[in-house]
Amino acid sequence: MTVVAEVQSRPTTIAAPRGALRTLLHHPVGLAGLIMLGLTFFVAVFAPLLAPYDPYDTPPVHIEDIYQPPSPEHPLGTDDGGKDVLSELIYGSRVSLIVGFTAAAIAIVIGGAIGIVAGYKAGRTGSALMRFTDFFLVIPDLALQIVLVAILGPSLVTIIIVIGILGWTTTARLVRSQALTVRERKFVARAHAIGASDWHMIRRHIIPLVMPLMLANAVLVISLAILSESTLAFIGLGDPTVISWGKMLNFAFDRGAVSAGAWWAFFPPGLAIVWVVLATTLLGTALEDVLNPRLKRHHLEAGRDDVVRSVEPPPAVMIPTANAPLLSIRGLSVEFESSDGPLRAVDDVSFDLARGETIGLVGESGSGKTTAMLGLLRLLPPGGRIVAGQALFDGEDLLSLPPDELRAFRWTRLSMVFQGAMNALNPVQTVGGQVTEAIRLHDHRISKDEANRRTADLLDRVGIGARRANEYPHTYSGGMRQRAMIALALACRPDVIVADEPTTALDVMIQAQIMELLGGLSRDLGMSTIIVTHDLGIVAQVCDRVVVMYGGRVAEDAPASRLFAEPRHPYTQALLEAFPDVAHPERELHAIGGTPPRLDAMPPGCPFAPRCAHAFDRCDTAKPPLYPISDGWAASCYLLDPAHPAPASPATHD
Amino acid sequence: MSGRTRFLARRVGWALVTVWVVITFNFVLFRVLPGDPARSGARDPRLNPETQAALTERFGLDKPLFFNFGSGAPFDSQYFIYIGALMQGDLGTSYARPDDPVAEQLGDALVNTLWLVLPSQFLSILFGIILGLVAAWRRGKATDIGSLAFSLFMWSLPTFFLAIILLFIGARYFDLPIGGKGTIGAAFETPVEAAVDLFRHLLLPTLTLTLVLLGEYMLIMRSSVLDVFSEDYVLTAKAKGLSTYRIIRGHALKNAMLPMVTLIALNLAFTVSGAIQVESVYSWPGLGHLTVQAVSDRDYPVLQGAFLLLALAVVFANLVADIVYGYLDPRVTEA
Repeated sequence: MTVVAEVQSRPTTIAAPRGALRTLLHHPVGLAGLIMLGLTFFVAVFAPLLAPYDPYDTPPVHIEDIYQPPSPEHPLGTDDGGKDVLSELIYGSRVSLIVGFTAAAIAIVIGGAIGIVAGYKAGRTGSALMRFTDFFLVIPDLALQIVLVAILGPSLVTIIIVIGILGWTTTARLVRSQALTVRERKFVARAHAIGASDWHMIRRHIIPLVMPLMLANAVLVISLAILSESTLAFIGLGDPTVISWGKMLNFAFDRGAVSAGAWWAFFPPGLAIVWVVLATTLLGTALEDVLNPRLKRHHLEAGRDDVVRSVEPPPAVMIPTANAPLLSIRGLSVEFESSDGPLRAVDDVSFDLARGETIGLVGESGSGKTTAMLGLLRLLPPGGRIVAGQALFDGEDLLSLPPDELRAFRWTRLSMVFQGAMNALNPVQTVGGQVTEAIRLHDHRISKDEANRRTADLLDRVGIGARRANEYPHTYSGGMRQRAMIALALACRPDVIVADEPTTALDVMIQAQIMELLGGLSRDLGMSTIIVTHDLGIVAQVCDRVVVMYGGRVAEDAPASRLFAEPRHPYTQALLEAFPDVAHPERELHAIGGTPPRLDAMPPGCPFAPRCAHAFDRCDTAKPPLYPISDGWAASCYLLDPAHPAPASPATHD
Repeated sequence: MSGRTRFLARRVGWALVTVWVVITFNFVLFRVLPGDPARSGARDPRLNPETQAALTERFGLDKPLFFNFGSGAPFDSQYFIYIGALMQGDLGTSYARPDDPVAEQLGDALVNTLWLVLPSQFLSILFGIILGLVAAWRRGKATDIGSLAFSLFMWSLPTFFLAIILLFIGARYFDLPIGGKGTIGAAFETPVEAAVDLFRHLLLPTLTLTLVLLGEYMLIMRSSVLDVFSEDYVLTAKAKGLSTYRIIRGHALKNAMLPMVTLIALNLAFTVSGAIQVESVYSWPGLGHLTVQAVSDRDYPVLQGAFLLLALAVVFANLVADIVYGYLDPRVTEA
């Protein structure tokens, strides 16, 4: 899962078209399109009442009537036949709408049917249909329309049929891909298993789910059909018996309106086409936006401020000494923008990391552990920002670094092994190239050969082998990609490596290998490591110290041996009770009741209080600070407050 | 055979199949559809009786369409005579201008069309990529919204109407020629003067076609870049300490170009329809103009040849796009 999606996951399709329609009315672009299209329909229906003259009436033409400029009598002037342009314009709307809607209906029915069958019958029938569609995609459609209309003769019916039967390809492709995803869904497989017929499946399951996207596509097909009709008419292939905007342009252009300067003969029909096509395009764009909303933000937004601290912290005065921590996080808080105001994902987090130390940062998903680490490297996903705190690295506050110093800091002092190495490696660059890039970026004096040699060493060291340097990530297995990610993290010999869920999605044997590799490397190279995980087994295996997070806050910060022996925070206790212990297989496991709090419904007091068996009134009113237990051990629980001892444990427990 | 070679072989094979289908389709269009343009054409009053007889003889218009089983020579049919003639570059005789073989007319027109299409394609792809990139990077800001509005408007504007507007403005206020490829009857002292004259005639058609294609490419590039900018490997590149410029140049651009190449290929049919409209407004003597001219002259051999050439050009350009894609994306071996 991408980091962005984790924070802003939203439903990608709205199942009910009715809900979509309501949303559309609140969408300014969609509303504009609807109103413009509605006006055009009104004009087309009431054309005889609105038009000052009947353009189908052919009185004798006098030479002085031709190309008359706009006047009170003819608000838009007259054309090459001395006819009123405004009246022709009003009647022309009928042809555009009739051709647009009927041709689009033909195209949608053909395309929808082909798409559904191709998606639903994905085997041989499906691929044959897609080959057929591919063939029509390479045929220049206007050229084919011209040929067909020229051979069959330009009547309105021919034009509608030709545009309709040539306009289905985009619909077919879209519907097919949608039908393919529907087919994969569980309930479809289930309905199949209980013996539902193909037709039943398509009618009851596929069509309702494909419908919304088809609707958005239909609107775009209408706009294409209107454009096609006007283009054919302009080329001289319009129905000679009806007045259309394309034909008005054809006559004006062929009969010297441009050189005569009679702009009123060609601007109004041209703008009328723009008007109605724009209306449908706006409507289609809005529909697509409503039905398939895209992420609004990305990693490289221009001019973004990721540190906005309301209280500027005092300048760092720590003088680095031999036993001062390498990294000291103080009161770090991160918020995300949302429609209901800021949501606090990380709240007042503090802990230290000593040189050579390995820390496990533990918590359930949503506890803020990954966000805290991304904040530290100033890599928060869009919409996230640091609102308070400091991150002192060797005495310097990372959160106040100017951009160029920040870039120089990244990877040379602190690097990161990201979750899901497949997506974290660039698919079109070789693995070796990605490592070499990091080396050469931060060391300008190193030669290309020297950098390549170092890359080869690193790949050997992580067990990939130097000869695979020139291969692309997609040729690597999952475990090998994770090794490549580790080699990349080591590229500039950093002081600290943050490994974010380094073993998720790997099988158990590979998990153990990766952890061994990571542990061995940090020991050999004297690096400090922060391992972000929800797996207590990993923590027990390699960590010196454990920081347990819950609801965006630190629950307990303890040496690993103490934490496993005598956890002090009720959450840590519950977590350990839920975790199987190989040494004591007879011990019963207890799941933690309830669910972690959601960001938009954070309790006012201790975030764990609603699930805590020991909670008392104070826990619901204020957030507990970290109470020191002994040297290097603290927990944020009012039970540990030396000044105000908790009331006796409630009898209701157990 | 490496994966890439296999991919290319498959693409070339598919292109050849498509070429055969296009040729057959073209035959069917003009010989089987009601209206029977080929046979009625051979009786065209503009041709003298000898030419008519020669045409009937040459294309076997009195023979069966596909297979001639009755005569004992099954391939002595219109279809195979047509294919045979095509192989020798014989596209028939124009009814409107019987002295100019169709193949020659098409050859000249194709060169003129390329003069128009290649610069327009180049300029619109170049500016489309740049504007799409900037719009995506500044998502939601004025640049982005402005370029989106521009794309929507360009999409709604019929190409021929834009051509008329630019022609009206160019001829009235900038004294540019209203059409054709060169000033008729002009004698030029130096090649430079001739080049300037050609440039002045090319300016408006190229501008029109570039603007029409630009909106489309910008939109595609923008959405492609937006997808790439949300990818995890962009975050990795940022964590490595790369500047935004280097992330875009080194990581985002190549990945964003992948869908762009596919869509440029899919859009070639759209380019052809743009060229047809631009050429007919500016009387630019290319394939599109020839097509429209052939329609009004009812000159079916020329129409048939022009359609064939346009379709083959798109098939060929698609193949080029596939090859470029195979070069850009190492993963094609899996496709």
